[in-house]
Amino acid sequence: MSVLVLRLAGPLQSWGSSARFGRRTSETAPTKSGVIGLLAGALGRPRDADVSDLAALRFGVRIDQPGTRITDLQTAHHADSEKSMPLSHRIYLADAVFLAALQGEATLIERLHAAVLAPVFLPYLGRRSCPPSLPIDLGTRPGPDLRKVLEQEDWHASDWYRDRHRSEAVQLSLLVEPTAGEGMPEYSQRDQPLSFDPRHRRYALRGVSAGTMRVPRAVPDHDPTQLLDGV
Amino acid sequence: MFLTRFRLNTARSGARRLLSSPQQLHAAVMSSFAEPPGRPDGGPRVLWRVDHNSRTEVVLYLVGPQRPDLTHLVEQAGWPTTGGWQTYDYAPFLTRLTTDSTWSFRLTANPVHSIRRKDGEPTKRTAHLTKHHQARWLLDRQGAGGFTIVTKAPERQLLPQGDEYELIVRDQRGLDFTKVEQTRGSRSRVTLVTATYDGRLRVTDPDAMRHVLTMGLGKAKAYGCGLLTLAPVR
Repeated sequence: MSVLVLRLAGPLQSWGSSARFGRRTSETAPTKSGVIGLLAGALGRPRDADVSDLAALRFGVRIDQPGTRITDLQTAHHADSEKSMPLSHRIYLADAVFLAALQGEATLIERLHAAVLAPVFLPYLGRRSCPPSLPIDLGTRPGPDLRKVLEQEDWHASDWYRDRHRSEAVQLSLLVEPTAGEGMPEYSQRDQPLSFDPRHRRYALRGVSAGTMRVPRAVPDHDPTQLLDGV
Repeated sequence: MFLTRFRLNTARSGARRLLSSPQQLHAAVMSSFAEPPGRPDGGPRVLWRVDHNSRTEVVLYLVGPQRPDLTHLVEQAGWPTTGGWQTYDYAPFLTRLTTDSTWSFRLTANPVHSIRRKDGEPTKRTAHLTKHHQARWLLDRQGAGGFTIVTKAPERQLLPQGDEYELIVRDQRGLDFTKVEQTRGSRSRVTLVTATYDGRLRVTDPDAMRHVLTMGLGKAKAYGCGLLTLAPVR
């Protein structure tokens, strides 16, 4: 077993799992289907290829920098008939940084790592108009403990975000697929990919268990009055 | 010697006015002494520093030979009914300092050097602008200051070079303000670069260390630079 770690950072990201019709919403963290799709694209698989081997990977996310939600109202006219198309609201996460980890057989993880380094189809963050701003590859880690890998990884927030939070201990959210022994998931989300075939995309429900971890303060405490006598 | 701690209420416009102007904060600090303290003739002087611990926790530390009265600061920039200031007797702590004791320290300083660009030109005071040079500035002063910065164990170093010491240099700030000369009333421009140091040090010469703790380190002491404070290592 080993774990592939990806950093998903960009000016805009959008990770939809329940979006329908004209309102294309985004979850607050990357979806499994989005990240599996990114990896399948990096491997060069066509959209109607079988993704069951990738979908079987265990998936976890850490929210390093939550970003802000922005809405884009999109209008369009049909190219030939010039009739107006339905209005659509598209929700994006701006300035967010996430850590995504996938756990599986070491050989498959190595293959995925190589694909991320030399992708066939370029990776994007949930929507094709959202390219990553930093290298997404953070390497692979040996071992079967996905949660531990996420907890031990450095905090990847931007400098300006760290500066804003460096005097407090920061809580990061962890959203991990629970293993069989870990009990019931806290909620479920329809982002377990069954098929990316554009004619009929299908997703199953997937359990997520939420947790938090603390990042220690970047600046040490300093109280010079500790050993002094009051007057 | 006395060390005084005063927490500023950043929600008040008075506090923001003082924090945005080292000149005004200097004046406020100096006016907390009824008798004008320490002339620059070798005696102890008044040193101060502002620690921005978090957005709402901003603390002014003040070290000087006399007990200050910060009533005016509390009225302008503090909590007049529930908060005040705490003054601690610094002398017993200073006399207890021993060789080879290890402390965590904090210092806000104005790291500068004097350079000339060509021969024959008078030298000019110039700020150090990179963390590397700013760290080197402090390391160059450790022997004479009676302390050495503790070195890191090789396995804890994150970089092959430049991470040898238990030292963080952070919060570089460029200060640029107009100073009004009290006597002549003329205006002059002051530009400063300050940096804050956090780290661990070992005392090698208690007398020299006491001198640093009461007289300050480096330039721009009137503008919140040079006050080094010690705290127990956790």
